[in-house]
Amino acid sequence: MNQRQRALRVGLAVILAGAACLAWGCNRDAPDAQPTTKPAAAPTTGPATSPALTTGAASSMPAHPGAGAIMVNSIGMKLIYVPPGEFRMGSDPSEPGRHDDETAHDVKITLGFWIAATEVTQAQWVKVMSINRSEPKGDNLPANKLSWPQAVDFCRKLSQAEGRAYRLPTEAQWEYACRSGSTGAFSGGTADEVAWHMDDSDGTPHAVAGKKPNAWGLYDMHGNVAEWCRDFYQRDLGSAPAVDPAAPAEGGARIVRGGSWDNFARACRGAARASFNPAYPLDRVGLRVIIEPESPNPSQNP
Amino acid sequence: MSKTSKSARLGRRGFLAGAAAAATFTILKPSLVRGTEANSKIALGLIGCGGRGSWIADLFVKHGGYQLVSCGDYFADRAQGVGKKHKLDAAHCHTGLSNYKKVLADKVDAVAIISPPYFRPAQAAAAVEAGKHVYAAKPIAIDVPGCANIGESGKKAAAKKLVFLVDFQTRATPFYQEAVKRVQNGDIGRLVNGTSDCCYGFIFGKDLPADAEGRLRKWGMDKVLSGDIIVEQNIHTLDVDTWIIDAAPLAAVGTGGRKLRKGDDVIFDYFNLVFEYPDGVAVSFHSRQFGDGPDGINNVMFATQGAIETHYGGQVRLYGRAPYPGGKTPNIYEDGAVANIATFADSIKAGKVDNATVPLSVRSNLTAILGRTAAYTGKKVTWDEMIKANEKLVRNLDGAKD
Repeated sequence: MNQRQRALRVGLAVILAGAACLAWGCNRDAPDAQPTTKPAAAPTTGPATSPALTTGAASSMPAHPGAGAIMVNSIGMKLIYVPPGEFRMGSDPSEPGRHDDETAHDVKITLGFWIAATEVTQAQWVKVMSINRSEPKGDNLPANKLSWPQAVDFCRKLSQAEGRAYRLPTEAQWEYACRSGSTGAFSGGTADEVAWHMDDSDGTPHAVAGKKPNAWGLYDMHGNVAEWCRDFYQRDLGSAPAVDPAAPAEGGARIVRGGSWDNFARACRGAARASFNPAYPLDRVGLRVIIEPESPNPSQNP
Repeated sequence: MSKTSKSARLGRRGFLAGAAAAATFTILKPSLVRGTEANSKIALGLIGCGGRGSWIADLFVKHGGYQLVSCGDYFADRAQGVGKKHKLDAAHCHTGLSNYKKVLADKVDAVAIISPPYFRPAQAAAAVEAGKHVYAAKPIAIDVPGCANIGESGKKAAAKKLVFLVDFQTRATPFYQEAVKRVQNGDIGRLVNGTSDCCYGFIFGKDLPADAEGRLRKWGMDKVLSGDIIVEQNIHTLDVDTWIIDAAPLAAVGTGGRKLRKGDDVIFDYFNLVFEYPDGVAVSFHSRQFGDGPDGINNVMFATQGAIETHYGGQVRLYGRAPYPGGKTPNIYEDGAVANIATFADSIKAGKVDNATVPLSVRSNLTAILGRTAAYTGKKVTWDEMIKANEKLVRNLDGAKD
């Protein structure tokens, strides 16, 4: 174990905010409501403000945390627990700006997962990967100019350091978290309220968490940098209900979700599906990680 | 070496979606699967048995989800030609100008309208009125009232749970779909200007007969029956323009004319126009339908951070900071039709009646009419002026049999 891995292992904090009652509980009928329980600690997205750390990794994380539970990991990344649930994936044909690869269908997510409240920052990226090719530079700016394999490598190294299963989200997990119980084009507010996009970004990415979060406390799900997902792109997802839909086993381009500071707002909609050659490191694409604590096969593909 | 099974390659989503889809058919309301049962074929009537009509009839049958049960054409030899090939008895091979009414009176669930463009709005309206799903070839009309008529038929079809699909091959081609989506998402920045063209030789010949039946047989030479080359053929490239830009033009100015063909009723040999789109986006367009030279349907749009290039049958790609290599589309003519035929069947079975192709087709059809009007008049014509004028084109067909 090298020095950095030791530091990562030692630097784990799990801060549970209890069973906050989010969209599945008492707020089910108010999908845009904010979490009723505030995080026990302020969001910590930079290395300089890492919270008090405890030793240990998986043992510190309960197997079945409550909805809205919050933890901060070894690199200061805040993650929020998303319990199982169901949602309508895709968009209605009447949604302005939609594309026809967004066929609406019901999706059931049977496994809860932790998801980072923000896109991976450059400070977090450097702690794990050492080299930062992002442009422009800034600790709290989202990491970018990273290929899909590099994003997966980030997850692998962080997983090794902490002893848990960091992954890129599937696009179904991503959209489930993005929607946070809402059904429209944007979750948590209007496009300008929740997203850095081409018409309000001034041609550059911005520090994470600079816009309004969605109902589950997730920032920049719309805009800023687009986010690599686990799946290969498959144009037709069909209209049939699906359970824990996963990527096809083979494919070319990888899914990118959320749109970016360099896209029109329509590309930042919750249902908008983009894809890129996984080898391309683009200044508009970064990542957000999840942990799958209940996954029966944590060693599955990235 | 082990082989990956097909089900494994499909992945979990594919398996689940397939299983669920199979189950779905058994619970759909009868109204959503008008005239079809879960495992039965769609009874299809073919209206228009000319070159493309007889060709596409084969593709419908080849799909496996359709049974051709009726056909119609003005000319007996054409209707009987399709009938003989597909083993239809004479009672289901209809002729005369009213052939479509007889097709609709047969026990058909859906019709494919591949007749001359002049007749398509009335035939589509009658089909929707009769409760039939409609598969329509492009262009869907030759004038502004006809476009409005088709737009209304699309809405009425949706209200009656009927599918109305307009067949543009480009829109069903994955490389085009992906490239255009990326442009609309902003991957090449903001559009600035571009070029588009549609050039071919003598598709329909040079001469237009004077009598009604002669014109019906060579309808592609008649500027009213066909809508002229800009509506009948060049719409391919103009549709891609409007698709990429995702807007209708504000105005058009330019010219066109005949150097080889003669006669007021005959189609133009060429068009050269500039289309003005919202936000100052400009497109230079030209077409020809004569002689030899580089043929093709090509679109190039330049933007602040890149460009899109599409060639019907050739390469489709994006240039710029977020490039998309795309790929080639060598079989687009057939593949596009095959994809649309499959989509039509799937939509009927699933009760998917958003009929999204209709307003987009009306938009590009009107774009072609705008360009034609500008070329015919030699003046700059705005979209609003064209809509307000609502000019209807009429061809005297006295002498033709009903």
